[in-house]
Amino acid sequence: MNAVQRHHLRIAWWMILPCTIGLVCFRLFPILASFLISFTDWNIIGVPEFVGLNNYIQALTSPLGVKVLLNTFQYALVYVPLATILGFSLALLVDTGIKGVVFFRTLYFLPFITATVAVAISWKWMFATRFGILNAFLSWLYLSDPIAWLSNPNVALISVAVVMVWKDTGFYMVLFLAGLQTIDRTLIEAAKLDGANRFAIVRDIILPQLAPMTFFVVLIAMINSAKTFEATISLTNGGPNNASTTLGYAIYQNAFVHFDMGLASAQSWVLCLIVGGISLLHYRLQQRKA
Amino acid sequence: MNSRSISVLLIYLGLLAYAVVTLFPLLWMVITAMKSGRELFRLPPSLVPDLLMAGTPFVNFAAVFDKAGFLGAVLNSMLVATLAAFGQLITCSLAGFVFANLRNRVFTAIYVLLLSTMFFPTEVTLIPEFLLFRQLGWLDTLLPLIVPSFFVGAFGTLMMTEFFKSIPFEIEEAAILDGASSFGIFKDIYVPFGAPALASLFLVAFIANWDEVLRPVIFNSSPEVRTLPQFLLDFVGQYESQWTVLLAGSFLATLPLIMIYIGCQKWVVAGFARSSLK
Repeated sequence: MNAVQRHHLRIAWWMILPCTIGLVCFRLFPILASFLISFTDWNIIGVPEFVGLNNYIQALTSPLGVKVLLNTFQYALVYVPLATILGFSLALLVDTGIKGVVFFRTLYFLPFITATVAVAISWKWMFATRFGILNAFLSWLYLSDPIAWLSNPNVALISVAVVMVWKDTGFYMVLFLAGLQTIDRTLIEAAKLDGANRFAIVRDIILPQLAPMTFFVVLIAMINSAKTFEATISLTNGGPNNASTTLGYAIYQNAFVHFDMGLASAQSWVLCLIVGGISLLHYRLQQRKA
Repeated sequence: MNSRSISVLLIYLGLLAYAVVTLFPLLWMVITAMKSGRELFRLPPSLVPDLLMAGTPFVNFAAVFDKAGFLGAVLNSMLVATLAAFGQLITCSLAGFVFANLRNRVFTAIYVLLLSTMFFPTEVTLIPEFLLFRQLGWLDTLLPLIVPSFFVGAFGTLMMTEFFKSIPFEIEEAAILDGASSFGIFKDIYVPFGAPALASLFLVAFIANWDEVLRPVIFNSSPEVRTLPQFLLDFVGQYESQWTVLLAGSFLATLPLIMIYIGCQKWVVAGFARSSLK
């Protein structure tokens, strides 16, 4: 320990005190407590009763539990590819550096910082079956009969995912742009001199070099899709008949609508395992490359 | 036309197409907010709002302020977002100062524990936090939305620690020889040096707390302590058909964030990008 460190040590404990208190009270204690609650049957008022793995079995095998997991998976199946491909395409367009591109980049990021509930409500009005603008577009273009965007059980989940794609795409674009900055530009210049077209450059140079960032974006998008809540509560409340209830929303519903604290805690640990598993996978693959 | 100008044209077309997709829901929010109740249910929907044509475009925006609880919700959201973001600045910069300078076994353990909590989604801590706040008598107050931010912020601490690590050791040494206290060094060297990171942290925390729905919905149910997202959700349930006023309110709820973004774009984008890249 050097002189500077010794000098700081006297006051360091005081400076780190709030952080330590917060870590224990608002993180470590709740994490531990939630783990214990997940093995009990508890309606928050009575006495918790130990039920072993029952809640986990219910979360993973009961019809509703399975439906929630399948919904979460389906939601990710729509959200992750759409958001990743759109984010990547926009990054490529913006990265061309042609005139006015800064304006477009600024604009594309805008939805990400808007208040989720507020924009989801705007989408809800656009989704309205009879008076909504989306169905009006469809009829003007003679494309299809009105779609019940939020009340058709086969469509509602996709509608929620689309809203979140719209909201988050600009964020993924920024991540891809950060990745593009690390690419060796001389390779692209050389390929251009050799007469390679834009498509070949993207396929043979940009995509391979951007692979780590793409992988990272996919993981972040997967984690975000498992946690989705704000759009669901604003658009569908998980309905119709739980058709758009994903894990993040089911936890809220079980805990604070049905007061089944045990099941909700177990589901939150399932979510945690999904998030942790994805993060661990990322870490492992990064290590292997390094 | 040569192939180069064709490809530039295609790029502009692509850029414009997605610009329309990005803007339309926001634009439609404003257009609808400028319609009268009768115009709202016209088929097919009109693209030009009638109240704008009549020269009274802000009727619905004014009507939002007459709704019980809107003004209170604005104040609550302002209070929560500002104080929570400010709390993050304090706790994260203080902890960052220590973690960037000192590494003994205890500090390292705290740091590692703190960072590992980033793997746990909010949903995990929610129920025990609810019980804790109930025990403390904090439910139906703004405290659960503000106080934790003064005590813990894993991402912010990581960000400040990394940022502070780049401060040259020699500057501190010189300051100590001049008789500066540790807190003086923190205040006069670290805080000014860390200003860009602190600004980013403040903006990201402000936006995130303004946007937060889950925690307010769970910890608070009485009208006096509603935040803006809660107010809007309750509005949907209460006056389902008053879309014009509701969308005017939605626009007002998102306007401060848009203004912050336009004013401090660079710091906002950098802050969010950093928050995930770590």
